[in-house]
Amino acid sequence: MSSSTHILIAVLALGALFLIVRLVRLKALKAKYSILWLTVGTALAVISAVPQILDWTAEKLDIWYQPTLFLLLAIGFLLLLAMHFSYELSRIENRIRILVEEISLLKEKLEKDD
Amino acid sequence: METAAIIPAFNEAESLPNVISEIRGLFPDHLIIVVDDGSTDGTSDIAKEFGCVCLSMPFNLGIGGALRLGFRYCMDRGIDCAYQFDADGQHDPTQISSLLSELEHSDMAVGSRFATDCSYEVGQSRKAAMNFLRFLVRIYTGQRFTDTSSGFRAFRKPVIKLFAKEYPVEYMDSVEALLIASKNGFKISEIPVKMRERSAGQPSNRNFRLIYYFLRLLIVLLASTHKKKKD
Repeated sequence: MSSSTHILIAVLALGALFLIVRLVRLKALKAKYSILWLTVGTALAVISAVPQILDWTAEKLDIWYQPTLFLLLAIGFLLLLAMHFSYELSRIENRIRILVEEISLLKEKLEKDD
Repeated sequence: METAAIIPAFNEAESLPNVISEIRGLFPDHLIIVVDDGSTDGTSDIAKEFGCVCLSMPFNLGIGGALRLGFRYCMDRGIDCAYQFDADGQHDPTQISSLLSELEHSDMAVGSRFATDCSYEVGQSRKAAMNFLRFLVRIYTGQRFTDTSSGFRAFRKPVIKLFAKEYPVEYMDSVEALLIASKNGFKISEIPVKMRERSAGQPSNRNFRLIYYFLRLLIVLLASTHKKKKD
């Protein structure tokens, strides 16, 4: 990677960090999700500042083209994240369903008492 | 012994009055529970007008969700015996008594359209789909059902209790319900019933969605391990 690419990534990482902090402060992002993204943002910032880390790890893992390692990690992380969201979504769907049942039963009770 | 009819209804204001009064006429002591699945045509007003128990959901959850709510209500109220009945008028109320008497020697009774040579006609693709489902259910439950997607069923208290918590909420709920009941060791029996043509409303099945639901059902089947039945 050229140095200008590193500067670009550094700027993007810092921008992302700034955005996350802002969203948390506006209470638009739950703290539990912000931890995740803050970690990612920090990792990106560190890698862009000290690209030797990536080179060194890639060499240790016998990866010839260093960006591959970066992309591999990124894809792996995003996959796990998507799975986590599907899990959360299933749970929320289930909870909404139970709430709907409770509401309907309560509504019926209320109307009967009138 | 208190018996209840669970009628899931989604925009069935047209056919519902007839269905309710027919059941009332034959079985005045049955509690009629109409579960309004987020209708926009005043289905719940009709149910209230007729003095039925009306459970109206704030938005559409599909027939499985509506049924589960019906079971939940029955469980809370301690109903001994419940049957599910379509709001579109395709079920024949005169068949209810034979369905209920079947419960004397089983936990769940299914009214089958195909158990005898009755005149219920279905399209080609639906027929193929039904055959496949029949095959799957047979492998899984070890029991032969001629009509796995029938919505004309009766249940005893223990099954009501199970379904109040675990009734499948996605489309093709009727097939999955058979599997769940069988897995929990309940005795299911099937009896032939006559069905009518739909008196109003649109059939809820769409062919292009079938593949998706089939895949989903396959996953459900694969994910659940077969338990030995209790005797």
